[in-house]
Amino acid sequence: MAQASRRRKPAIPERDPDWDVPRVAYIYQDPSSSTLRADEVATYLDRVLGLRCEVRDEFFVHYGGADLEGLARAVAATRVRHLQRPFEVIEPLYGEVQFELRLLEEPAKRVPGILYDAYRYMAVMAGLLPPSERSLKVLHAAFQHRLLGTFDEDGRYHARSVVCGYPSVVSTSGIVEAPAKPEAYYKVKARLSMALGSVPFEAAKEPFKGQFIDYDDPRLTEVAKGYALQAAMYHVTKEPFCEDPDCRLFNAHWQAELIRAQVESGRLCARHRAVAARVRQALGSARA
Amino acid sequence: MPIFGKASEAEVTRAILAGFTKDLDEYASTDVIIVGGGPSGLTAARELALNGVRSVVIERNNYVGGGFWIGGYLMNTVTLRSPAQKYLDEIGCPYKKYSENLYVTPGPHACSKLIAAAMDAGAKIQNMTSFEDIVLREKNRVAGVVINWTPVQALPHEITCVDPIGLECKLVIDSTGHDAYVIQALEKRGLAKRIGEGGMWIEKSEDAVVEHTGMAYPGVIVAGMAVCSTFGLPRMGPTFGAMLLSGKRAAEVALKELGRTPRKKSK
Repeated sequence: MAQASRRRKPAIPERDPDWDVPRVAYIYQDPSSSTLRADEVATYLDRVLGLRCEVRDEFFVHYGGADLEGLARAVAATRVRHLQRPFEVIEPLYGEVQFELRLLEEPAKRVPGILYDAYRYMAVMAGLLPPSERSLKVLHAAFQHRLLGTFDEDGRYHARSVVCGYPSVVSTSGIVEAPAKPEAYYKVKARLSMALGSVPFEAAKEPFKGQFIDYDDPRLTEVAKGYALQAAMYHVTKEPFCEDPDCRLFNAHWQAELIRAQVESGRLCARHRAVAARVRQALGSARA
Repeated sequence: MPIFGKASEAEVTRAILAGFTKDLDEYASTDVIIVGGGPSGLTAARELALNGVRSVVIERNNYVGGGFWIGGYLMNTVTLRSPAQKYLDEIGCPYKKYSENLYVTPGPHACSKLIAAAMDAGAKIQNMTSFEDIVLREKNRVAGVVINWTPVQALPHEITCVDPIGLECKLVIDSTGHDAYVIQALEKRGLAKRIGEGGMWIEKSEDAVVEHTGMAYPGVIVAGMAVCSTFGLPRMGPTFGAMLLSGKRAAEVALKELGRTPRKKSK
């Protein structure tokens, strides 16, 4: 009894019966990100988890169908109206629907700045999945340029880099906008704003170049691998994150943390390497 | 020997009247009415004129240019982020690079160049004229505006009971700034609504203003800061690049709606 109590309980069971082992993972491209190479992300997931991946077009290009205006309306309806209030259902404006329609027609266009309610947005995506692919045997991880947010207990929306669910979404704008930039950046921005009477983002960013992931950053693919892995881990084990700041599953709140976990370290911690090995094993036996 | 040639008072009056009535007669029915002569409205007017589209700018003030004369905090340096400086090249306004992607120019220079460029292209401007209401046609499509002299609005109703007049057009561009007067007129009738400030990630709102520029209601295009007011984008401060590019986009949308192919590129 005493001995048993001294024995460390494993954080992840050897082979949890609750794991959902997908037979295939579909990775959806974000054509608006010039430095995102989805095929490298797919290769990475295959190498780390033994997950058979297929890279597809942008999610809405793949599933959008003929009624683009209806889809545009549904997407526009997921816009967050107030950052400090829970989501309110509001009929989207004519112009907002037209705006979303333009984005759907031109998937290579990126207009960051608008925040969408992550779970409602993902519900729109889930609604497009055909029954044959709407199963836990199929993992969907979509790279999207739209900025998604979740309303949290502190009473406000927070932008997210990745939102795990079905499907999971990795937001390429979220990778840039969600984790905080160096504190000094905000001070420089405030000072320049006072001096110039406008918000000179580009000028404020200049002294901190390299210290955060920017749009079309050459490190984006490397970062995307980590976030796609978090989505895959969530699908299989329901545990997407790790507390080790050098693990790729670390849930970064600062850009410095993100770069440390995804670029400088670029590895899983010992515990999650073991989990990944078990996932590979589980996937191997599922395939066999 | 007098410096100036001879012209009687009556001749001067007739000259004013002839010029004014000729213009008013032309734009009583026109292709596009641009309500608001700020930077986005003037840019739209220039672009439309360059493409041979008949249009008029309705401006409630004596002066046109809106807030483009001055930057933030009454300091008359205006800032533009890349690529908006290219439009200054088009209208022949000099500027300086402040930092990577950020350009500065004196407000009076930029504003006067823009006004001149719009008028040189053939844009018509009706100043001291206030927008009062919209003209509606079948299926509540906007088909014109109701205007009146600005001073009439400034005086008590009992003193100046002056009926407004209506102008017809195919499209209205609402470039009236934060007030979005045209959209407000639709809102009062329950035909449209504006969304309050809120869910925007402010750092990227300038892009969003340009991208939201377009048809906000059948017959109405929104441009400039009216876009912010209509779609709930936050006030951005005096970042004028988005105003110029929004005006340009509004003209492009108008050309498409009118079924016109852009005739020539801006120089």
